[in-house]
Amino acid sequence: MSDIPGEARRGRTRRTHPLVRFLIRRILLAVLMAWGITLVTFVLTNLVPGDPVAANLGQRALGDPAIVAQWRAEHGLDKPLWEQYVLHLQGLVHGDLGTSQQSHRPVSQDLAEFVPATLELAGAAILVSLVLGVAFGVIAALRRDRLSDHALRVLSLIGISVPTFWLALVAFYVFFYRLQLTPGSGRVDAALNGAVPAVSGLQTVDALLAGRWDVFSSAVGHLVTPALVLALYTIGLLTRFTRSAVLEVLGQDYVRAARAKGLPGRVILFRYVLRSALVPIITVAGLAFGSLLSGTVLVEAIFAWPGVGQYAYKSATTLDLPAVMGVGLVVGVVYLVINLIVDVLYGVIDPRVRLQ
Amino acid sequence: MATRSQTAAVLLAGALALAACGSGGGSQTPAASGGGGKTLVIDTSFDLKTADPGRTYEPTGLIVGKAVYETLLTFDGADVTKPVPALAESYELSKDGKILTLKLKKGATFADGSPLTADDVVFSLTRVRDMKGTPSFLLDGVEVAKTDDSTITLTSKAPNPALPYILPNPALGILNSKVAKEHGATTDAQDKAEQYLNSASAGSGPYMIESFNVSSQVTLKANPKYYGTKPAYDKVVIRNVEAATQKLNVQRGDSQIALNLSGDQVTGMPATLQVKKTASANVIFLLANQDSAISKTTTNPKFVEAVRKGVDYAGLLELAGEGSAQAPGVIPSQLLGALPADQAAKRDVEGAKAALAASGVSNPTVKLEYPSELTVNGLSFQPLAERIQANLKEVGITVDLQPAPVTTALDNYRNGKEEMGLWYWGPDYPDPSDYLAFLPGKTVGLRAGWKAGAAKEIEAAGDKAATAIGDDARKAAYVDVQTKLNASGPFVPLIQPGQNIVTAASVTGLEYHPVWTVDVADLGVK
Repeated sequence: MSDIPGEARRGRTRRTHPLVRFLIRRILLAVLMAWGITLVTFVLTNLVPGDPVAANLGQRALGDPAIVAQWRAEHGLDKPLWEQYVLHLQGLVHGDLGTSQQSHRPVSQDLAEFVPATLELAGAAILVSLVLGVAFGVIAALRRDRLSDHALRVLSLIGISVPTFWLALVAFYVFFYRLQLTPGSGRVDAALNGAVPAVSGLQTVDALLAGRWDVFSSAVGHLVTPALVLALYTIGLLTRFTRSAVLEVLGQDYVRAARAKGLPGRVILFRYVLRSALVPIITVAGLAFGSLLSGTVLVEAIFAWPGVGQYAYKSATTLDLPAVMGVGLVVGVVYLVINLIVDVLYGVIDPRVRLQ
Repeated sequence: MATRSQTAAVLLAGALALAACGSGGGSQTPAASGGGGKTLVIDTSFDLKTADPGRTYEPTGLIVGKAVYETLLTFDGADVTKPVPALAESYELSKDGKILTLKLKKGATFADGSPLTADDVVFSLTRVRDMKGTPSFLLDGVEVAKTDDSTITLTSKAPNPALPYILPNPALGILNSKVAKEHGATTDAQDKAEQYLNSASAGSGPYMIESFNVSSQVTLKANPKYYGTKPAYDKVVIRNVEAATQKLNVQRGDSQIALNLSGDQVTGMPATLQVKKTASANVIFLLANQDSAISKTTTNPKFVEAVRKGVDYAGLLELAGEGSAQAPGVIPSQLLGALPADQAAKRDVEGAKAALAASGVSNPTVKLEYPSELTVNGLSFQPLAERIQANLKEVGITVDLQPAPVTTALDNYRNGKEEMGLWYWGPDYPDPSDYLAFLPGKTVGLRAGWKAGAAKEIEAAGDKAATAIGDDARKAAYVDVQTKLNASGPFVPLIQPGQNIVTAASVTGLEYHPVWTVDVADLGVK
């Protein structure tokens, strides 16, 4: 903030706001990186040894050169690699991700079906992680070296070190099979599947939009265990980072000064400590979301969750190249968007960042 | 330092968040649990691409196809040795085996109520053949014609006694040609009807497609206009579920059928569940390459004999678990012309050592390639390969294991580059003629480097079998082919892994079928 009233405003009229310039720069960078992602996914998927024809046609169809040739032509595999990439890019510009060799549908249509399922799961997990992870971290820091601090630190260590797929298996077995507390596989009960029209693709939101409470409660019930399983790692991570960030801020002179001035503890915590600790927390949360996306592959398999993880696995094992590239692009773009959000949040929280 | 009340507030916030997330979790009851439900839930590991019958060739797709479309002929229960009438009330194969005449049954209607005609049959079968989809080869060289409103003739250039066994394949289901054409169906490669057929049914079967998702779930609903016996379940949900989860789901009552449990997984099932254990129609075999450019060792007939005598078949069966059976020949036990079980090879370590000595190859080392992550009926290839390696070690053969992901391994296998290979063959259709692919110069024969002309006697036996007409003559001919193959061919048939299907006590009438696994319309409620 400027000491002279009005000066900051005058400065703004002459030039674009630093935050806007910062945003434009970041978005341009993101577009450039998105192009980089298309190149990397294309090169990597085409470097895989193995022939997609063998993976996609039956044993007998492979014996018929006419069928094999037609299949290759149909999927553009008879063209040189550079031409395939140019065609791929041209398609992308028009929002066309190609046609899946597995489902024979546009990859974009497949992704539109599977991505929301994963986002719903990962979104629920990140919400739980943020609330619990930050809360636990703050508690641990405030009660440093006391019993609750030790307990939370052990818990976070467990959360970080337990493999997610193992936890998913155990949670499914214990809560669904043994205790019979949670419903089974999928996003809703088998009989309710497709009961509400897909508007957002998020089962919980769509159920609310359709006013179907039975579908909503079924969807939430199905979401609980996989989301908690996924969240455990990020809760552990956030607890640790929040704790150390809060402890560092608590040791700063300005906090001590505030405390000496006799400000209430609540004010100190929320206005001084948490605000300063927020930058490292956001960094970790952004990274954690990335790990959530990769963690969903196995969790989705165990809970029969029809998300992009399952789609990616199936595409990779059947060498469905357009689908693999589509998944790579979407996951890459999600990372980019999260990084963009994190960067923008830095800019909002800490004005010094905008000038860099 | 923070006050106690702040700590409490933060804790409370956390607890509230947890509670909010947890709501609804405990109140769920599994869908259609127990007996008497009108919804049937089937869990299976999806192998599914499409619901368009003309493009279907994957196990899950065939379950859907069987329920939604009807074929001219079918099989009664699990018996695949005799095709029986379905849409055709009778059929007759000409003496030379080239012309199959089928009389259409009267009164069959499609799901939209319109009658099923001879024109629909001609259109559907021609479409499958000329669209060049995966199942096109089923009707290669077969001309489809209508002689009158209720008679269809299928004419083949060469004698084709397998045709009645091919026709029950759900890929040859009859489409409502009017509806299909309206949605882009054509009888050439330009066909565009698949998208439509993935969302709706244009068939005459007992079920219709309610929703279709290739990687998560397919929902079928009973066809209200079905002219035949109404199925017992109003709704059938087929879900994509991993084997480990399938087991828990069916035990808990969340599903009524689990299709993909391995022999290990079905041991110790509670008495409240029914376990159907049958040998699958998949035959796992070893191949020894006959191309001397690939190997000097495996081309030696005495070496192959040593392998054949050196494998511990009983040990492999133990590994494969319940329901599995030794494969006496390449043709699985369910099919016409299968070798009787007592003709299966037996382990003979001394005989194997003698054969190896007679081969003149001392201390041979061979590479064994196989798909490392592939499982057939829940059985993985890795432990099988390791067991074979140990068996042959005792004989004096060193096996160098070369596992590779299936998509990579397939390349070498298809191109005939493997010195030794461990693979399986599932029937494309339940007729022994499908196994002529193992002869010299044919699909699988070439994969073993076995070129046409390499074994005149076996090839002559194969030609005879291909043209034999009549069940008895065909049976004898195929037994002869396999006996000769076992004596001097490059293949060592190993086992048929078990297909274990677990069902709730309430489900009746389940039969394992080698082509469509399970016919959902046959299932009843106790």
